[in-house]
Amino acid sequence: MTIEWLAFILGALAAVFLGFIWVIISVNRLQNGGGKKGKDGKKSVNDLDKAYSDIAEEDVNHLFNKEFREELRNRGRLRFEKVVDENAMFLKQDLDMTISQLNEYMKEQISSKLDNEFAEYAKAMKEAQELTLAILKKTADEAEAQRQSLNEGLQKSVAAHEAGLLKAFEMNMAAIVEHYVLEALGDQFDLKQQLPYIIEQMEANKQAMMEDMRL
Amino acid sequence: MNEADKSFVLPPALVTHADLARALRELEAIENDLEAQRVRTREKEGAHYRLPSMSRMLSDTLESNNVELGDDQARMGLMTVMRHLKDHAPILHLTFASDADPASLRKLTEWVRGTLHPQALLAIGLQPSLVGGVYVRTPNHVHDFSLRAHLQEKEGIMVRELEKALKGAPQ
Repeated sequence: MTIEWLAFILGALAAVFLGFIWVIISVNRLQNGGGKKGKDGKKSVNDLDKAYSDIAEEDVNHLFNKEFREELRNRGRLRFEKVVDENAMFLKQDLDMTISQLNEYMKEQISSKLDNEFAEYAKAMKEAQELTLAILKKTADEAEAQRQSLNEGLQKSVAAHEAGLLKAFEMNMAAIVEHYVLEALGDQFDLKQQLPYIIEQMEANKQAMMEDMRL
Repeated sequence: MNEADKSFVLPPALVTHADLARALRELEAIENDLEAQRVRTREKEGAHYRLPSMSRMLSDTLESNNVELGDDQARMGLMTVMRHLKDHAPILHLTFASDADPASLRKLTEWVRGTLHPQALLAIGLQPSLVGGVYVRTPNHVHDFSLRAHLQEKEGIMVRELEKALKGAPQ
C-alpha cells in the first residue's frame, strides 16, 4: 500500500516535471522561429519566459499547496508510523524468534552441560562408590583376617592354657589330695592307735637302726 | 664304754636325754646334800644322815641298778655312769604327729632298749604335718615311717586313678 502511494506520488512528480520540460522546449522553439523579429521580439520572449515561469511557479504552488503538503505530510507520517510499526513488529518477531532460538540454544547448551556434568558426577560417584566398596571390602577382609588370626591365637592360647592347667592339675592333684588328707586326718590319730604300726615299721628296719646305734 | 656302763640299766620312766640330765642333777643335789650333812656331823659319833626325798625317775633308776642311796661308793659309781651316758648315750630322735602319751612312750622305750640298744635315749618331737606314724632319726640315718611319706610313696597310684577318673569324665 505504501509503495503504491509512493509510486503514485513519484509518477505525479515525474508527469509534472515532463510537462514542465515540454513547456520549456516549446518556448525555445518559438523563440528560435521568431528571431527575425529583432530586439523587440527577444524582449517579448523573455517576458514570455518570465510569464511561463511565473505560471509554472504558480502552478507548482497551486499543485503543492499547503493542504496538499499537509496531506502528504500526514500520509508520510502515517506511512512512517506504519513502517516503523511493521519494522517494530518484524523486529519483535525477529527478536522473539531470536529469543526463542536463544532459549533453545541455551536449553540445549545447558542440557548438554548438565548432562555432561551429571555424567561426570555419576561417573565420579560410581568411582567413589567403587572405591568405597573396595576400601570396605579390604577393611572387611583385614578385619576377617584379624578375627581369624585372633581366633586362632585365642584358641591356641586357650588350648595352651588348658593344657597347662591340666598339666599343673596332674602335677599338683596328688599334692592337693595329700594336703586334703593331711588336713582332714591331721588330728584324728593318737599315738596309742599308731603304736602297732610304728613298732612294725621299726621292727622291719631294726637291723639298720641297730647298726647305726652301735656306732 | 666300760663294763659298768654296759651293766647300767635305764628304767622305762627315764626316757629322754633331758630325763637323764634331770635325774643326774637330782642325784648330784642329793650328793651335795649328803656331803653337807657329813661335814656338819663330822665331829659327832654315830650321827645319822637324813636321806632326802627323790623323784620317781631317780628312785626307779636306783632300783633298777640295785644301788642304795646311802652307799657312797655305789652312788658315786652310778653318778659317774650317768655322767658318761649323758654325754655318750646313743640318742634316737622320734617325731610324732601328735603328742606322745607316757604309756606309749614307755612301750616304745622298752622296744628300743630291748631291740636296738639297752641304753638308748629318746628325743621326742612333734610335727603335725606327718599326719601319722613316726619320723625316726638315728645318729646317722633318717627313717620316715610317717603317713605323709606313705602317701607320697603311693602318689603314683593316686595320679593314675585320678587320670582315669578325668578321662572318663564328660568334657
